[in-house]
Amino acid sequence: MLESIVSHGLALGAVYALIGITYNVMFAASRVFSFTAGTVGMLGGVLGALFIDRMGFPVALGFLAVLAAGALIGIVTEVLTVRPVLRSLDQHLYVLSTLAFALMIQQFTAIEWSTEPQPFPRLLPIGPGIFDQQFWLPLLACAVTIVGLELLYRRTLVGRAFLAISEDNYAARALGLPEQRLRIASYALAGAIGTLAGFSGGEMMLAYFGNGPLLNFYGFVPVALGGMGSNRGAVAGGLALGLFQQAASFLVGGIFASVAVFVVFIVVLLARPEGLAGAATARRV
Amino acid sequence: MPITRRKALAGSAASAAALATGVCRPAIAASEPIRIGYLPALTGPSSSTGIGINRGTELAVKEINAAGGINGRQLELIVRDTQSDPTKAVNGATELTRRHKVQVMWGPLNSGEALAATPLIARDGVPQMHPCWVDSLIDVKKYPMAFRNAPTNQQVGRAANHYVVNIAKAKKVAVISDTTGYGTASLDAYVPMLKTMGGEVVYQGSVEANNPDVKPEMLRMQAAGAQAIMPWSVNAGFLSRLINTRADMGWDVPIVGQTTLGSGQTKALLKKPENWEKVYPNNFRNCSYDASGKLPPRTVEFVERIRKAGIEMSDTLLWWIALGYDGPRLMADAMKTAGTAPEEIVGYWNKVSGWPGVYGTITWTPELHDGFQNEEVIMCQANSLKEGAFTLAPGYTG
Repeated sequence: MLESIVSHGLALGAVYALIGITYNVMFAASRVFSFTAGTVGMLGGVLGALFIDRMGFPVALGFLAVLAAGALIGIVTEVLTVRPVLRSLDQHLYVLSTLAFALMIQQFTAIEWSTEPQPFPRLLPIGPGIFDQQFWLPLLACAVTIVGLELLYRRTLVGRAFLAISEDNYAARALGLPEQRLRIASYALAGAIGTLAGFSGGEMMLAYFGNGPLLNFYGFVPVALGGMGSNRGAVAGGLALGLFQQAASFLVGGIFASVAVFVVFIVVLLARPEGLAGAATARRV
Repeated sequence: MPITRRKALAGSAASAAALATGVCRPAIAASEPIRIGYLPALTGPSSSTGIGINRGTELAVKEINAAGGINGRQLELIVRDTQSDPTKAVNGATELTRRHKVQVMWGPLNSGEALAATPLIARDGVPQMHPCWVDSLIDVKKYPMAFRNAPTNQQVGRAANHYVVNIAKAKKVAVISDTTGYGTASLDAYVPMLKTMGGEVVYQGSVEANNPDVKPEMLRMQAAGAQAIMPWSVNAGFLSRLINTRADMGWDVPIVGQTTLGSGQTKALLKKPENWEKVYPNNFRNCSYDASGKLPPRTVEFVERIRKAGIEMSDTLLWWIALGYDGPRLMADAMKTAGTAPEEIVGYWNKVSGWPGVYGTITWTPELHDGFQNEEVIMCQANSLKEGAFTLAPGYTG
């Protein structure tokens, strides 16, 4: 039982964490919570199966094609659903615009792909057992992503520019930083990370159009738990969520496991609204 | 004599009255085709069933017309593809009953569309036959002209429960569903039925269909001593996870349930082909091979006709073609024997007894428009599909 809780829990948690990071990367660049995060996660699985299984791409090429497609969808999200909203006075309209775009992608996938779950290709000849690739691949993807983002943000000029616009959009623009181009780059990066989540968890979650809402929902929990904008918090929150969800499945079972997850989520947010790793921000009055 | 405007109007009114009272009708009616309104889902997510049924329907109409039609009149199928969309089924039904004035309706062919369209067809007073399983679609008070030539969900659940308790002799049973309306409604309906039949339900639960790990539930079932698992879901992902997890656990317990267990989508998601052993989905006796690999005689003869007509069977199921074939034949029998007026068709169907269809033997009464026989709903071996038909699950006799 413990083995199953740890292997499945961490793997699922890593997928949730990657979706949480997707939310964060888009949020940092635009202060917008784009509800396309789970949808690009779903597309990671569907496009992986499409490119590798149906179109016969080699695994490496299929993987790169999936990431490229994710980046493209990220850019389209920014152009179609975020940029027009940022120009308007009521910027909370992004809830509608991003959700509508996510629904359009989901319905298009259902029509063109299938409404039934489809198999995801086996990528490496390792497994089965607890060392099965479906368990460690999401963890590896999560580790590579978080290390990569840390290096990008701390060691490169572009990364520091990302941080600058996330910290103070107006000041960064006043300094001459190309805010719009940086935002597009952030959305492309977020799209690639989202599809990486779905691709690495594809064997576990299958190539299924219905995974979008589930990932949107469970991917948001680590962001709220870990603190908005905190990638380390999202990873810690995601892994904790996966382990807790899996333990609840064993202990209380069935639909009650989901109830248990959300009871804890609500209690944590009541106790620390800024999230476990987030800091309360001062508000100018 | 000059023709005044008043005389011309009076003449037109007299002609219109003659048409309305049917003075000219017999001459036209004697030669015009009999219109069957037909609502298959030929595209969209439910189209695999619709395409299979359509092959049987077209064959039946072709054969009936080739044999001279109904008392000299040809059958004409007026088809509206519902595209697996209840809204389009409603639009199609209204167009067929009101604009085309069809004599009888065949379909819709899936429950979601039938739930939307049946009240409208009933309101327009057109006799309807459909093969949809949802129990509430047949109600002699609400829809007195609607008949079903297929089993109900109750019969499907009863057949699975009967197999588990009386044939497989599993007394301790685990019943699991997904959290969809179908899943939870099936659980609520079939668990009490299972208990009435003498089964002991040692595990009962619902989980989300896209939950990636069902092992916790399977371990609970195993710990409770389950001798059979009955999953109620149409989600191939959920069902394949149960089957794969059973294999991973090395647990040799039969899985008995809905037809999706034996579908190609479920097969595609299995880790190994042998995981499909001891999986028994619903099927129908007349379209199943017995233990010696033979179909019933009337089905053998039907399969021969399908082959001669050049109809593809490898990518569909025999029972879909068979039920599509039975529908128009039941309509033709009614119209040939009783007439084409709605009350004549319904009057005939109300007295149908032991009608030997390829798909099933149909008996209707004025009080019961569910015609399928309980004993013709059976369980089959999921991994036995050959030319569109499955082999009976082990334990059936006769």
